[in-house]
Amino acid sequence: MIEVRDLRKEYGGFTAVEGSTFSVDTGEVFGIIGPNGAGKTTTLKMLAGLLEPTDGDVSVAGHDAGTTEMRRKLGFLPEESPLYEEMTPLSYLHFFADLYDVADGVADRRIHDTLDELDLEHRDRQLGDMSKGMKRKVAIARSLINDPDVLVYDEPASGLDPLTTNYVIDFTSDLADQGKTIVFSAHNLYHVESICDRIAIMNEGRVVAQGPLEDLRAEHGETEYHVFTTVEVPGSVQENGRYRSVVESMDGVDRIRTDAQDADGSVVDIRTEESSLEEVFLDLAESGATP
Amino acid sequence: MNLRTLLRIARWEVTKNAGGVDRRTVVVGALALLAVGIAAPYAATSGVAVDSGIYRVGVTDDSRYYDVVDQDPTFAVRDQRADLGDEVELRIDGLAIDAAPTSKAAAAQTELRSSVRAYNNRQMRQESNQSAAFPVRVSLGYTERAQVNEIIATGDGPESTTDDEPTADGTGAGDGEGDGGTGTADGNGSDGTAGGAGGGGENIDDVAGGAGGVGGIAGRLAGGNTSGTPADIAPPFPFQSLVLAFLFVLPLNFIIQAYGSTMLSERLNRRGELLLVAPVSRFDIIGGKTLPYLSAAIGIAAVIAAALEFPAVDPLSVATSVLAVVPIALLFLSATFLGAMFARSFKELTFVTVTVTVSLTTYAFVPAIFTDVGAVALISPLTIVVRNLQGQAVGLGEFAFSLVPPLLTAGVLFGLGAGIYREEDMFTQRSIPLKALDALAARVHGKWSVAAVTAILLPFVFVTELVGVATLFAIPNALSIPTVLVVVVVVEEFAKSLHVYAGYAHDRFEAGLGPALVVGAFSGIGFFVGEKLTLLAQLVGLPDSVVEGQAALATGTGIPSLPIAIGLLLAPLALHVVTAAISAVGASKTRRTYLAAVTLSMAIHFAYNYTVVSISGLV
Repeated sequence: MIEVRDLRKEYGGFTAVEGSTFSVDTGEVFGIIGPNGAGKTTTLKMLAGLLEPTDGDVSVAGHDAGTTEMRRKLGFLPEESPLYEEMTPLSYLHFFADLYDVADGVADRRIHDTLDELDLEHRDRQLGDMSKGMKRKVAIARSLINDPDVLVYDEPASGLDPLTTNYVIDFTSDLADQGKTIVFSAHNLYHVESICDRIAIMNEGRVVAQGPLEDLRAEHGETEYHVFTTVEVPGSVQENGRYRSVVESMDGVDRIRTDAQDADGSVVDIRTEESSLEEVFLDLAESGATP
Repeated sequence: MNLRTLLRIARWEVTKNAGGVDRRTVVVGALALLAVGIAAPYAATSGVAVDSGIYRVGVTDDSRYYDVVDQDPTFAVRDQRADLGDEVELRIDGLAIDAAPTSKAAAAQTELRSSVRAYNNRQMRQESNQSAAFPVRVSLGYTERAQVNEIIATGDGPESTTDDEPTADGTGAGDGEGDGGTGTADGNGSDGTAGGAGGGGENIDDVAGGAGGVGGIAGRLAGGNTSGTPADIAPPFPFQSLVLAFLFVLPLNFIIQAYGSTMLSERLNRRGELLLVAPVSRFDIIGGKTLPYLSAAIGIAAVIAAALEFPAVDPLSVATSVLAVVPIALLFLSATFLGAMFARSFKELTFVTVTVTVSLTTYAFVPAIFTDVGAVALISPLTIVVRNLQGQAVGLGEFAFSLVPPLLTAGVLFGLGAGIYREEDMFTQRSIPLKALDALAARVHGKWSVAAVTAILLPFVFVTELVGVATLFAIPNALSIPTVLVVVVVVEEFAKSLHVYAGYAHDRFEAGLGPALVVGAFSGIGFFVGEKLTLLAQLVGLPDSVVEGQAALATGTGIPSLPIAIGLLLAPLALHVVTAAISAVGASKTRRTYLAAVTLSMAIHFAYNYTVVSISGLV
């Protein structure tokens, strides 16, 4: 559904994105994470056709980025919610429905259904009088007004309270369940981890790692084995009447088992703990990794 | 550009802004407008009597002064026996007038003298034999400078034709055929309106009769009810042209405030970002957001034109006026649009709109004031409006001369603004000069585009130079011509080089002397080609009638021989290529070298132009 090849973007003498290549399949939720200034937003804007790449190719739903056909199939949600504050949610959404050539009847039904799903009341109130969370819901509704195949969401829960954040993330997850292809960036890695099928990690304008979370962990993360024994072995600590040792390989586990047997004890439990996405991200960011 | 999408955006632009105004404000605004609409014509035609009844006069109703005092609202009639000083300022007993020993009483006496004169004039106008009532009538007006010199030299002007015939009631109609001279006598019992038919001629009578050429409210605003007697002689200030030009240009200043605000608000907080993502082009967006304001300007111009002709509204005349206002409206809107694309805040936008207002009002308004003075007034399209409302004929060449340059300039300004109506330029906080360079650089991609941009900027150059001419034509030639020449070289050299500098600042060209010379040469050629557009000026004879125009447009007098004609054709080409190349070489280095180079180019250009006008005998 989305193909990105050797994408590059320069602003004056500054390179914001350099050689990014990735693809997103239909119905997939693809997360892009990275530190501030990594090039996430620039990448998303090039996907949305807002920015023209300096070099490289972007194809969305079979169309080159920026073309009218591609824009009709895409819903974009920027990090901020820049709404026309003198308009009401209904007039604002009807305006965009008009721009996307959505028939009046269809638009009316779609607007009310979406606002119902988003639990947005006060639909005749001016947007300028609404809370940030309510505005965000209107912005999300706008991104869906043309029933797009592809959604590009930049920090959809940015600056929202925890309750609204969860609501927005759950709603995004529901959209994925409905078969939408979603490219998604967020600073809250828990959200990315919870709804993304695949993830790209960007650093200094480059995609330094990408793939399913399991693969990223395997490639860039660490697995720890917490081995619980009935007797004390070298390096263990007492915990609830048992002794816990932490090792990073199965050889270490075998060594502890041997040590416990030598001390007339035994291994009673082994737990595996894998690196979180945050830990993988931090490791890559701190190491200044490049692909 | 998709017309359907453009109209949709225009409709929503109106709806969006309407949503920002509550019903109470709309009602209050409508009532205020209604009140102004009712009060303004009354105040304009009757005057605002703030001095009503300030002088108390004791006079009996059988006194010959009674009617004078009674009909002047400045006076309050009191009993003739009232106490002088305490109760009245003046006391009239028969023909004797006693004044209290106060300064207010002295002022009342002066006012009474004016009232008596006005009263007598009114009485005289009611006489059936106007020739007897006003044996001497004088018309004042404008004429060309050369014609005045001729009149002064000969001490006599051509005889005027006086073919007004009296009618049974003493009224007549001046046909405006006088052909200038020391004065005209069109007596024989005409009713003595200062007007006359106006006509379309260039003679004194026609010009003097201009006021009378406007019917309805415009005629009354112009004070077209004077007698033409020596007592009514006043400096021939072009009050009517001033009022008409002002009426049309004033609403534009309000419209651009709203327009600039809506365009800038698209940029602040990235509100316009989502429109850029929608399946519409930037031209649809700009067009759609501009259309309501252009429509408002046209609608207001139509209402004003119709109101000025009321009750005898001629749709064709109204359409002509509206058509002439369109380029001015587009020029105001385009300049504001570009300013809104450059401004970083509403504070900066205020500066921009004030600059636009002052500059373009000067351009549109000042020349139009002198509609009856000379061809130089045709610089402004409003002159067409004024002429049209005065009932004067407007030629196609004059129409094109007035309308095409601002129309093309508006196109250039919209084009420059559209070049930076994109995500990476709209929402950045660069300074206005850098934004201006961005706008120019967006149009420059190679040597051919440099030539094209230079040529496209010609209308802008032309309009700027004409404004210079309009501003300076009234001062002596010895000073005005060198000043115009300086204005010309500054404007033209920047027009040839600024986009080249912008291109270098954005790494659009290869570094080195060779590429810089090539880019500069293309700019010079583009300018030479575009400059030929100024030949349009010849259509209406502007350079022949205004020496500053000849200086600005670098034209001479007389018909040269073929070799000289070829030389005159190629010499400007060489000049523009050389000066543009010098500037381009400077632009290829640093800002300082660019400024030094462009200054050198200006000096060369000035020397060339001064030589040309010297040979032509203009200085």
